Amino acid sequence: MTGADDAPAVESIGLSKSYADLVALHPLDLAVAGGQSVALIGHNGSGKSTFLRLAAGLLEPTAGEVEIAGWPTGSPEARATTSFLPDDPVLYDDLSVREHVEYVSRLHSGPGWDDYAEELVGRLSLIDRVDDLPSRFSRGLRQKTSIVLALVRPFSVLLVDEPFVGLDQTGKAALLEMLDEVHEDGAATVVATHDPDFVERVDRCIALRDGEVVFDGKATTADVLRLVSA
Amino acid sequence: MTVSESAAAVGALRRARRKHRVSDIHWVDAFYQVYITGIVAIVAIVLVSGVVGDQRLGAAGMARVHAHGPAMAGLAAALAVAVGLRSGGRGGPLALEAPDVRHVLLSPVDRGVALRGPALRQIRFLALCGAGAGAAAGQLALRRLGGNPAAWVASGAAFGLLCVGLGFGSALVASGRRLPRWAATAIGAVLLAWSVADATGRGPTAPASFAGRMALWPFKFDALAVVPGVLALALVAVGIASVAGTSLESAERRTSLVGQLKFAVTLQDLRTVLVLRRQLAMEVPRTRPWLRGSRRAPRFPVWRRGWRGVLRWPLVRVARVVVLAGGAGLALRGAYSGTTPLVVLAGLALWIAALDAVEPMAQETDHPGRRDGFPMDAGSLMVRHVPAPAVLMLLIGALAAGVAALPGGGSVPLAPAGVLAGTLGLLAFMGAAVSVLQGAPNQVDQLAMITPEVAGTRTVVRTVWPPALAVGGTLPIVAARAAASTHSATALSPAVAAAFVAIPLLIVVALGVAWVRYRDQLHAWIKVSMEQMSPTKAIERAQAERAALDDGDDEEEAR
Repeated sequence: MTGADDAPAVESIGLSKSYADLVALHPLDLAVAGGQSVALIGHNGSGKSTFLRLAAGLLEPTAGEVEIAGWPTGSPEARATTSFLPDDPVLYDDLSVREHVEYVSRLHSGPGWDDYAEELVGRLSLIDRVDDLPSRFSRGLRQKTSIVLALVRPFSVLLVDEPFVGLDQTGKAALLEMLDEVHEDGAATVVATHDPDFVERVDRCIALRDGEVVFDGKATTADVLRLVSA
Repeated sequence: MTVSESAAAVGALRRARRKHRVSDIHWVDAFYQVYITGIVAIVAIVLVSGVVGDQRLGAAGMARVHAHGPAMAGLAAALAVAVGLRSGGRGGPLALEAPDVRHVLLSPVDRGVALRGPALRQIRFLALCGAGAGAAAGQLALRRLGGNPAAWVASGAAFGLLCVGLGFGSALVASGRRLPRWAATAIGAVLLAWSVADATGRGPTAPASFAGRMALWPFKFDALAVVPGVLALALVAVGIASVAGTSLESAERRTSLVGQLKFAVTLQDLRTVLVLRRQLAMEVPRTRPWLRGSRRAPRFPVWRRGWRGVLRWPLVRVARVVVLAGGAGLALRGAYSGTTPLVVLAGLALWIAALDAVEPMAQETDHPGRRDGFPMDAGSLMVRHVPAPAVLMLLIGALAAGVAALPGGGSVPLAPAGVLAGTLGLLAFMGAAVSVLQGAPNQVDQLAMITPEVAGTRTVVRTVWPPALAVGGTLPIVAARAAASTHSATALSPAVAAAFVAIPLLIVVALGVAWVRYRDQLHAWIKVSMEQMSPTKAIERAQAERAALDDGDDEEEAR
């Protein structure tokens, strides 16, 4: 399989994931167009994180496949295209924020620490901490570092899992602004969240329940509350 | 991203991190680590030397080594391959850091470039350990078999390297080529079983026995031993070449678990080691129990909770416990035939099985906050957790005794086997319960309150005591064998001799149950007694009494 210009940003075909006798995701056919912003909602255990991790290439499907811009997930091209912001910040213990940024940027053939990185760090109020070790940070600061790492590299698909957990109001506002900018720049975004207000900002809302899609379309906050409380 | 760009990016990170790590290492810490490793190595060699002995083997012994030596040494190679395949089938042997998986392996760098470094570092370390252990074993073999010391050390080191190459290479190939878990386990089990059959003279020459010939080169040179060496090199080469195929899902699961596992081992935290090992093996309880129990409100909720846990055991755990019981039974047959040290093997096997049986009790210990939320004291709750695993272990002990009593060579007579069925399971249960309830050593208590000598002895006792209890459960077989070999009119029958030994063992079990019930009260009493005996506390008490008297005098004067 090779990438194609008209291929969806994310496409799953008969994608499913099981853990022994537990089905985390039932066979799922889904396509996210390039530049589309999508909110993924659902109860805990509904399969949101599983879908994102499958799309990021961190999990292997039990059946079916996922493609990123026409490339099989996990291929170097798909990895270069996809940026994954997980719900649990995973950072090196012995690298400062600046060293993290330099490293991750370089791994994606980027320039390392530059003005853009400095701007990102500044917007997330991390500028005074760039030479500190994130291993000594609070949960919120670690999450902010993780956001910087997800955005500092080039990508055209952004997969985000529960991004607002642990963030203060300023951090949340900055992240929402950044997600809007990413969308305006033409990248596809898929954000799994429990925040019902977030759906008002996106093109499309996909609701999952017990690993199956129960809603797919434009939704309002009221729709989300109804879907989640059902 | 090209391979050279990948290498440059990954190399830059490694250099930066190495710089940080080296600057963080204090020379005193490094020296202390070398010192401790040296001491441990010397103690191990001295202990093993004591077991092996110094006397040269006679002609009969030499003939036995000639006939069975390669197969016995080959067992080590087969074990290395089996362990390697099992690890590879689960995404091992590499233990990566979580950020490496998230940032490096999810970036477009060449995964082969990113993973070859850790793989080579791991094999370099293992090769050093393998060669060192092999050389030490060669030195020990020299004492019994004689010959050129340099040749024994060299062949021992070469055999150690061979085992590492076979094991690590198999693991890398299984992981990189995504060998299914069941296939990896099955291949390893077949190789191991074949080697066991060969070593016991019940099967044709096993493939691993050719590797074993290298260990005995100074005794008898055999060029065929080169073949496994070439195979080991090929496995490592293929494994390194296919390392990019390592599953990210498995790698990520292993990342945090392996780190925690190492930490738990250094803390001698057996419970955490067990839990993490289960997670590494993806050994999760069944969603649906094997049997659906009653849904009525239970009269004995803790008893029912215990059995519900057992009924959700995954097949692999059931199989493991059955295999351990069977192994214990076979070891007991060997012990009854005259090889007394096999009782240790039998006891340890049942202790490991019992650690699974006491899972409900262990989970209460894991979450003291939840346990203390129940409207009863901890001892009262814990003692209610005794019956279910005790009954389960009685069944498992009966299975081991049944295997020991099966007809054939070394069969244990039915009557002593019946006695054994009771003590085996109960003592193994007691050992496991002690392991679980005592938990990890309290570091603060050890370091701050007692001298290093006492802390060391206490640690040894804490570690040895639980498995020793399980081994104690096998003692009736030693008594039965002694009675059976005594040809006197007044001698006890094997069954009666076994029963005589069983009585004090059952008293130990009763005391153990009492310890489970009153452990907290006992500890509180010991603490108070220690405080009473403490000179510092005595001075404090005297000062308080004097102050109280002075206050009384002042009040009288004021009046």
